Amino acid sequence: MAALESSIRAAVGPGAAGSVWIEPLLGLGVGAVGGALGSALLTTSLAHGVLLGGLFGLAFGLFFAHRATSPGAGLMWGVGSALMLWVVIPAGILPMLAGPSRSMGMLSDARAQFPELVAYLLCLGMPVGVTLGIRGGLRTSAGQPQFRWGRAIVAGGLAGTLGGLIFGRWMSEGDFFPLVAGFGELHSRTANMTLHFGIALVIGATFGMLFQRDIRGYGSSMGWGLGYGIFWWFLGQLTLLPVAARIPLDWSAEHGSELFGALVGHILYGLILGVTYATLDRVWIRLFIQSDPLNREAEGPGIRFLRSLAWGALAGLVGGLISSPVMLATGILPKIAGLGSGFSSFAGLLIHLFISALIGMSYGLLFRNEASSLGLGVAWGWLFGLIWWYLGPMTFLPLMLTGVCDWSTDAASALLPSLMGHLIYGAVTALTFLLLERRYTRWLILDPRLAARELRRIRPVGTPAPPLWFFALGLGVLLPILLG
Amino acid sequence: MLGAAVGAAYAGISRPTRGAYVDDLMAAGALGVPLWGLVSVITFPLVSGQMPEWSAGQMRAHFPALVGWVLYGASLGLLAQGLSDIVDRVLGAEPARRASAPSVTKRIVILGGGFAGMRTAERLEVQLRANPSVSITLVSDTNALLFTPMLAEVAGSSLEPSHISTPLRSSLHRTEFIRGHAAEIDLEQRRVILGNGSADEGTGAPREIPYDHLVLALGSVSNYLGMANIEKLAFNFKSLLDAIRIRNHVIEMFERADRESNPSRRQALLTFVIAGGGFAGVELAGALNDFAHGILADYPNLHSEELRVVLVHSRNRILPELSESLGQYAQEKLEARGVRFRLGARLTDAQPGVVVLSDGEIRATTLVWTAGTAPNPLLNSLPVDKDKRGAVIVDGTLAVRGHSGLWALGDCAAVSDAKTGKMCPPTAQFALRQAEVLARNIHAQLEGRRTRTFHFDSLGALCVVGHQTACAELTVPFFRTRSMRFSGLLAWVMWRGIYLSKLPGIERKTRVLMDWTAELFFPRDIVQTIDLR
Repeated sequence: MAALESSIRAAVGPGAAGSVWIEPLLGLGVGAVGGALGSALLTTSLAHGVLLGGLFGLAFGLFFAHRATSPGAGLMWGVGSALMLWVVIPAGILPMLAGPSRSMGMLSDARAQFPELVAYLLCLGMPVGVTLGIRGGLRTSAGQPQFRWGRAIVAGGLAGTLGGLIFGRWMSEGDFFPLVAGFGELHSRTANMTLHFGIALVIGATFGMLFQRDIRGYGSSMGWGLGYGIFWWFLGQLTLLPVAARIPLDWSAEHGSELFGALVGHILYGLILGVTYATLDRVWIRLFIQSDPLNREAEGPGIRFLRSLAWGALAGLVGGLISSPVMLATGILPKIAGLGSGFSSFAGLLIHLFISALIGMSYGLLFRNEASSLGLGVAWGWLFGLIWWYLGPMTFLPLMLTGVCDWSTDAASALLPSLMGHLIYGAVTALTFLLLERRYTRWLILDPRLAARELRRIRPVGTPAPPLWFFALGLGVLLPILLG
Repeated sequence: MLGAAVGAAYAGISRPTRGAYVDDLMAAGALGVPLWGLVSVITFPLVSGQMPEWSAGQMRAHFPALVGWVLYGASLGLLAQGLSDIVDRVLGAEPARRASAPSVTKRIVILGGGFAGMRTAERLEVQLRANPSVSITLVSDTNALLFTPMLAEVAGSSLEPSHISTPLRSSLHRTEFIRGHAAEIDLEQRRVILGNGSADEGTGAPREIPYDHLVLALGSVSNYLGMANIEKLAFNFKSLLDAIRIRNHVIEMFERADRESNPSRRQALLTFVIAGGGFAGVELAGALNDFAHGILADYPNLHSEELRVVLVHSRNRILPELSESLGQYAQEKLEARGVRFRLGARLTDAQPGVVVLSDGEIRATTLVWTAGTAPNPLLNSLPVDKDKRGAVIVDGTLAVRGHSGLWALGDCAAVSDAKTGKMCPPTAQFALRQAEVLARNIHAQLEGRRTRTFHFDSLGALCVVGHQTACAELTVPFFRTRSMRFSGLLAWVMWRGIYLSKLPGIERKTRVLMDWTAELFFPRDIVQTIDLR
């Protein structure tokens, strides 16, 4: 037993402390309960649910628990693992076992397995991840960045309310509140609005409490906001609101399709929440932490700000150029040309490049502290491209062309091909930005003060960024395909 | 093959960390999603000779490939991590990259932290980039670059002293900065010997700095033409401390005059003599005149009739660097604001309370010297060719003839323009351009490339003569022989705009802008910051 324990300890790395059996057993228990709950909700075999949940919890406790160092980190690793489990088993192995070359049939099978996806995320990933995250937080608080409750709740609550305010105002004209969509037929507008802001406040405050330690800047905050927005669509829209309204739970893909508009609303809300939280958080840090002379850096923030804008514009231009064939082929360029009357596709290309440079500047500002290597640059760049697919062609472009944004599954289906162009744009922009930045920092790091700053920018192994990429990028692409 | 290529690319861009299986599982699983789009949706149809359909239906038809790519990515992450761990175990962990001390093979030493020295260091940093084999050292007796065009405003209490100085340490990144002064330059041994400084700096052995390239950017000092009394009694106007001293001295004179009952002595206390009618003297006269008249409101016992700012100049007109009409304009404006002129007169001596001119005396307790400069006296000991001012003669590439690796520029060098053959004036405008050419030439020599010669056409000159009044003579772009003249408020706005843009650093710009804005609403400060009694 001791040999096994030591080999497990060696496998899971230095983060593990104390008995290595506590986490697996805790995971086993929580997973089994979650599996039972899931099977009850899906009306499937209880034994199957308990067994699957128990195994998931056990595996999570063995291999992922040392990464769940806080409830927020646990949540991300939990839902990421649950999504991976769903991709491997119900969407992957089971249809493959059923028979080869059934492309549309495999998609139909995956749609049919959509309730399992919801159950995996909410009954397995979330409870197991959060429970082990709480345990991890109690175990490994030493050496981690200091957590401040006030900062988390105030900044998160304000950001959440502000995000809700923007969408509440925007959507109230059509009596559509993204955070309570599908719930509105049963209540008055005032009740809907109160509920909308209540949920916004709760999401914002919990966002701050869960992810304060993991967020390093605007870019990662938007990434976490995107992931948290998707997660709340599953938790709030598909689950809690029907429960509160005493409506039978419907986790089917068809019901998900009906609520697709709310999914986009949640994603955009998450992005606004993320960027607002990061802004408030940065203001807090700037006023109370970085203003301290003990924390002063060699190069002031103003210089870095201007430099990031310039590099971002150039990187965005390169990204726009490389992605323009895809944008042209998918019909986005002519649409952009339609922003001004009588524009040809060439004019559309010019406007596209101009917008690309502007969006590239936003990359420079938001993600300048995130990507310190090619791998990280590509990952954040893809997430950045996904974010702009939801913001650009799904929201801003129709708003500017018609005054109304269409968040239907039909609109998402029509725009799905352009998602590739956005992903290419994001990755190329991120890589170009990194190369420009490296060209500058390569000689600056001969200055030991700046070398120390560059070292601090490297995101250490073990943070929940990888599951965030998998969860946000996976579901951000998968859901429009599945629900369309 | 595709799998191998993707795997190799993944290994290239990821940072393997021992035991990080779950991290790689998730990161590489996420990688599978965009790879599906790039490969299955776009590349495969193109390779098979078809255009991608770009429809949602086609993308949904590739759904199995999406699942496959995610599973491939996740497996790739686990396998890459596993192989990395096995290799670590078999071959041993890759030694961590140690921050090896750069092996310096060439040393560039710059003497002087003025415009010329600072810009040379900045340009060398850019030219040499990450080349750790070349070290740059800058030696300066002050730790900040003084923006001299605004020095008169410090003396006139318009700007805070530190706002026009940029710290050299903050501005330079890979240059070693040494605050000190060079006591000796050994051209044979190629080394610079630093002085011990003041007694309280310790009496250890003098530090020696070896060099391969030595840049002389030592600037100039005031030249009193051998008049010892003037040197003893006059204020210098070259450094930030000089400006601070002048400002505090003016306030001190007002305080003394306020309690002085003897009209003659009071008159002497309130008389301020400035020697020299060049840019520095004229701008200082205008600034002191404005300052002195402005603070009269705080001294009800003193009257403006008692106040005298006198500018002494040996020629018949001031501002010889500008055209005659602008010089005349400046003189008229200054006279209208109360400045008096003694033109065609030379300072011959000074006694406490008396300034002696070639054509009479002025009873004054304040004398500021801006009438002459000479290259840094350290150059006197160097066995190199010098002109009659004592400046080091350099060739067109700014190299000192007969001494390999020795360069000079700025006020301490006699530089002739490669195109016109004329001597370059000792101004910041020329020093900055010389620094760029010099840095490029040092870099070229290090890399065995050809050096280039120095040529620059002056952009023009600007001079403030009082409250919201200036005169400017700017060269017409592309017509270097013609110039445009401006005067009055427009020239003043140009002066402020141009020099604010030239002031190094956005922080300093902001602070100066705030000072100028505050000056519009509040009177100038009369708080004494140093005790001159």
